[in-house]
Amino acid sequence: MKLSFSGHQALILGGSCDLATCLARSMVQSELFPVLTFRSKQGSERISAQMASFSGKYKALYFDLAQPESIDSLFSEINDDVDFLVDFAQGDMEALIGSVNIEEMERYFSQNVSSRARVLRKTARLFLRKKRGRLIFISSTAAQRANPGQGFYAAAKSASEALYRNLGLELADRGITTVTLRAGYIDSGRGRDFIQVNKEDVLSKVPISRPITCDEVAETVLFFLSESSRGFNATEIVMDGGLVAGK
Amino acid sequence: MDILTTIKDHLAEILDIEAEEITLETYLVRDLGVESIDFLELAVAFNSSLGIEIEDDEIFLANLRLYLKEAKEGKSDIVSYLAQKYPSLAKERLKQILQDLDDGPVLKVKDLVSYVSFRCQEG
Repeated sequence: MKLSFSGHQALILGGSCDLATCLARSMVQSELFPVLTFRSKQGSERISAQMASFSGKYKALYFDLAQPESIDSLFSEINDDVDFLVDFAQGDMEALIGSVNIEEMERYFSQNVSSRARVLRKTARLFLRKKRGRLIFISSTAAQRANPGQGFYAAAKSASEALYRNLGLELADRGITTVTLRAGYIDSGRGRDFIQVNKEDVLSKVPISRPITCDEVAETVLFFLSESSRGFNATEIVMDGGLVAGK
Repeated sequence: MDILTTIKDHLAEILDIEAEEITLETYLVRDLGVESIDFLELAVAFNSSLGIEIEDDEIFLANLRLYLKEAKEGKSDIVSYLAQKYPSLAKERLKQILQDLDDGPVLKVKDLVSYVSFRCQEG
C-alpha cells in the first residue's frame, strides 16, 4: 500500500532513541522531512550516527522537557513549519510509591506531564493556524499493566495519553487529530536490555513469542501519520504482540 | 487595517457570518453564539495577524466570576480589583459589566478591541 501524507515536515520529540531514528529513516524514504530533537551531546551524536546516510534530508535540534521554554526556540528554528508531531520524549523513573523522593517525584511529573501539556498547547495553536495537523504519542503498555516500581512512569504515560486524547476530541473538527500508540516489549534501547536479562520470562508472556521490532513500530507510526488512517482519532492503539490481552 | 476591522473579519471567518452584522456593542456569546473552541481560534488568529501574544483568560474575561468572588471574599472594591485583573478595560466599562452580569456572558466586541489596542500599545 502506498501511503500518502497531507504534510511534509515532522517534528520527532525524543528523537535520539533507536525507535525515533528508525522512524526518521522510514520518513525520509517516504519523502517526509523529519526534525529530531535531542537533549544532550550524546543524543545529538547518536542521531548523527544513525542518520549518517541521510545528510540534508533531516534536521536535529535541541529540546528538553526539563526546559519547556526551549519549545519556543525549537519552533522558531523551524519557522513554525510543522505538519506532524511524533512524541517519544519520556524520562524514566523507577521507584516504589511508598519510598519515592518527593522532590524527584514533583520534578518528574512537571517534566513529563506539565511540560508536555505546554508543548501540546504550542503545537495545537500552530496547527490551528494551518487548520490541520496530526499528533502521535508513543506510550507504553506500562500505562495499563501495573508493575512494581513503575507507578510514576505509568502515571505520567497515562496522564499524557489523556492530554493527547482530549486534544483529538477538542480539535478534530478543525482538522487536528491524535493517536496514542501503546508499545509493549520493543527490541531497542532500554527494552532490549531488559529483554536480554529476562528473556525467558518476558517472551513467555508475549503470545507472538518475540518482542516488537523497531521497523514494525516505524511502519505503524508512518501509517498513523498517513491519510489512510484518518479514521483513527483520540484513541489508544496497543502494539504488544498480545501481551496485555492475557492474564 | 484597523483593529476593529481585523477582529470583525476574524469573527466573520471563524463563525461563518457577515462582518457587517458585527458592531462594537455585539455580545460574543449572547449574540454570536461563540463557543470555547471559537475563542481558541480567535486567540490564535489575533496572535498570527496582529503579532501579539494573547492571554486567553484575560482577553475573553474567562475568570471574571472567579475574580468577583475573590474581590468579595477579600472585601476589596470590586471595580478596582477587576481593573487590576483587566488593565485594558476602563473603569466605566467594568461598571457596565457589573450591571450586566445577570443577563448572561458580558463580553462584547469592544472588549476585544480594548485588549488588542492595549497590548499593541504595550509593544
